[in-house]
Amino acid sequence: MKFFENNFTYDYSFPAVSLAYFLRYPNPHSRHVLTTDVIDRYVDPKTQRLHTIRLHLKKSKVPSGILKLLPKGMGGSDSSGQSYILEKTTVDAKEGWMETESRNMEWTGILSVVEKQCYKRLPSEEGRLALDGLAVDKSSEQTSVKTTVTFRSRLGQGKLLGKKKHDTGDHEDEEPRKGFFSSLSTAGIQRTIELIGVSRTKEAVLKSKEGMNIVLERLRSGGVVGVLEDREAAFGPDGTWKRVWLQGKDRSIENDKS
Amino acid sequence: MAASIAPECNDIKEKYDTCFLKWYSEKYLRGNTSSNDCEALFKNYKGCLNKVLKERGIDAMVDDARKSGSSETDAEFLKKS
Repeated sequence: MKFFENNFTYDYSFPAVSLAYFLRYPNPHSRHVLTTDVIDRYVDPKTQRLHTIRLHLKKSKVPSGILKLLPKGMGGSDSSGQSYILEKTTVDAKEGWMETESRNMEWTGILSVVEKQCYKRLPSEEGRLALDGLAVDKSSEQTSVKTTVTFRSRLGQGKLLGKKKHDTGDHEDEEPRKGFFSSLSTAGIQRTIELIGVSRTKEAVLKSKEGMNIVLERLRSGGVVGVLEDREAAFGPDGTWKRVWLQGKDRSIENDKS
Repeated sequence: MAASIAPECNDIKEKYDTCFLKWYSEKYLRGNTSSNDCEALFKNYKGCLNKVLKERGIDAMVDDARKSGSSETDAEFLKKS
């Protein structure tokens, strides 16, 4: 198993960041994300937390470095170049945190990647000091995010590609596979695959951060059209996020637009 | 706004997404957590989507993935923090 960890702070309020998270596709850094659907969403009546489960379809292919390690015919032949990602999100607006978990749903025998993020409100100092609550300048409000990605390859551990075997009903590659694994260290292959995953993830995490920042910037500048494309009619000239912004950020927008 | 995996659900998804974003920013984030303004739209959207997920055989995979792994409960999260 391998881990990747990253800490980052957005110069935006928690409400804005959590809204941007739900709105983050599409953005110029997310061209690989083809579709996004909400599978389930509810507010837990006990905790008042908002739970969301989404399904993303992303363009992807098994990295060539990993393909080289796989027995012939595995990993490439029936790959559609697309993969499904399941994302679970929990928001606690009162406590000011959001937890997310994304995992790949296929090829988990070769490499299972689980990305967890924890977003937390970082109250500004001025905000805390303004006890009377009047004209609290929250413009310095920030939101921290801790990203942890876990990589786990179970290649050669029996659970190998169960789905694929089931799908094709073709066991032709069983024999060469056994030979392949006896001739190489299973642990070594797993480690190599996990490391390839880590190196790809570093870039992906950076890109996703840039994507979030673009969405946040669009929200701040009142770019309703930019964020929602042609859907501004639904929100009217008094864009919803503008109010979210006004809670947390950049008061000049108010003067601008009202 | 991101497209649906099922093109035939795009219209209803868009209506639902719009409703959700409005509810989320105007109500939920402001503490009005019990309202369910978008329930009817979500039901329609889910009806459309589930049909397609089933047709493509993705529904079982989604169910498995939802069950699998470290789905922490709220209680566990609280203990941790």
